Amino acid sequence: MAKKILIPSVLIAFIGVAAMAHNGATGIVKERMDGMSAMGKAVKALTPIMRGAVEYDADKVRSAADVMIKHAGEQMISLFPEGTGGMPSSALPAVWDNWEEFSKISNELKAYAEGMKIAAGNGLAEDAVEQDDAMMGGSNDTMMGETSEDTMGGGTMGAETMITAEMFATMPVDTAFASVAQTCSACHQKFRAKEN
Amino acid sequence: MRFWKWALATTAISGIAVIGALVVWPIGQDVAPITLAGDVKKGGYLARASGCIACHTNFEGGGKPLAGGVKLDTPFGALYSANLTSDPELGIGGWTVEEFAKAVRQGISPEGEPYYPAFTYPFYANFSDQDIADLYAAFQTVKAVPEAAPANEMPFPFNQRWGLKVWRAAFLKQPATDPISGQDPEWNRGRELVGGATHCAACHTPRNLIGARKSADEHFAGNPSLPGGSKAPAIDYNTLRKRDWTVDSLAYALKTGIMPDGDTFGGSMNEVVQQGTRFLTNEDRRAMAVYLMDDHSGG
Repeated sequence: MAKKILIPSVLIAFIGVAAMAHNGATGIVKERMDGMSAMGKAVKALTPIMRGAVEYDADKVRSAADVMIKHAGEQMISLFPEGTGGMPSSALPAVWDNWEEFSKISNELKAYAEGMKIAAGNGLAEDAVEQDDAMMGGSNDTMMGETSEDTMGGGTMGAETMITAEMFATMPVDTAFASVAQTCSACHQKFRAKEN
Repeated sequence: MRFWKWALATTAISGIAVIGALVVWPIGQDVAPITLAGDVKKGGYLARASGCIACHTNFEGGGKPLAGGVKLDTPFGALYSANLTSDPELGIGGWTVEEFAKAVRQGISPEGEPYYPAFTYPFYANFSDQDIADLYAAFQTVKAVPEAAPANEMPFPFNQRWGLKVWRAAFLKQPATDPISGQDPEWNRGRELVGGATHCAACHTPRNLIGARKSADEHFAGNPSLPGGSKAPAIDYNTLRKRDWTVDSLAYALKTGIMPDGDTFGGSMNEVVQQGTRFLTNEDRRAMAVYLMDDHSGG
């Protein structure tokens, strides 16, 4: 009798361990991985909308923005306590070596996502579908690397501009979306280990 | 005993002679005068596509555009990208267009020294005189930054530039940018960009022990140990297809960094997009994707 129960439980336990080993993450690491996956899904859902491949739907944009708002900012920061790097986490030690920057990007993501939510009613830029701004509209200054904004710690005398969600209020929604995606990528470049 | 002394001396002398010959061995070809007028806008576009701004701007350290100083940790030592601003002393402001052409297309400095192939000049070898004139014009608009890039930290023997002459003789090949007849213009434009300016293979094709790309049999097979410890995935068309890429999603990823699964590029590919391919036209990004997704073996 006891054996009858024991075998299935052992089996279940084994399967459980195997499943865990596959992804390997538990606790806080799993929690933040789930958050990242949720945001990835939101980006995936937004992509065809932002490309004009499907009919524009402001509510879908808002709910995807909500997913990001929920997982970014303080929420994300709180899931990265020191000492939680290393396998199975993909988080690099750089997260804790550059904690301020990591936190800043996390907060920016939240602000951009909020901006995207605010701008959802604005719809896409007219040229979003077949946009070709770089070659024609872009000034050569931008082409050769000059930017009007102060990128990454250039200004030391309090020149740092605070990014607020309201900045996107009058902009096409895809501008905010592009900022969101850039934030993901910038953070992954610096703080996430490459898989393959 | 005496024999060994002689043998040693002879070997040493012939060794020195070989090195001496290498030191004075002239490399590269003279550049015929370039008198074409350059188009600043086209030059800026080509500079973006070629990654000039990405590699020669120290974004991390808040450096000025194209002022160089980006550290590249190669297996042979650390290199720093050069100052390409118009400063006449510390940048390239004092160069003639022909010197510029030789540097970009042949990888040889105005002093006749070969550059390390960390500078991706092998991909630029087929740039036309017009391309060069455009680039030159664009670089002249870059604000001078009177800052010297840090000196390279290459230990012996890799600090010996004559060694690079041997490397060039052994490994320098023409880039695969020439149009293939029978392919449509979009495909060939993709080939021109992928095999040339955008130099995808620099990171996505593995390198041998002395840093030459294994193009013959491991074209786009990925590089597990990029300088700085990053990795580049395989981007041969089979792998791309297996991983659910399409021409459409690849072109879009080159614009936004967003991958088909909703994740975004990490690693230095983020920089490639943000400082490079993001600035290209939709047509060019699409052409790159068409070429990458298609069987282009042998090219």
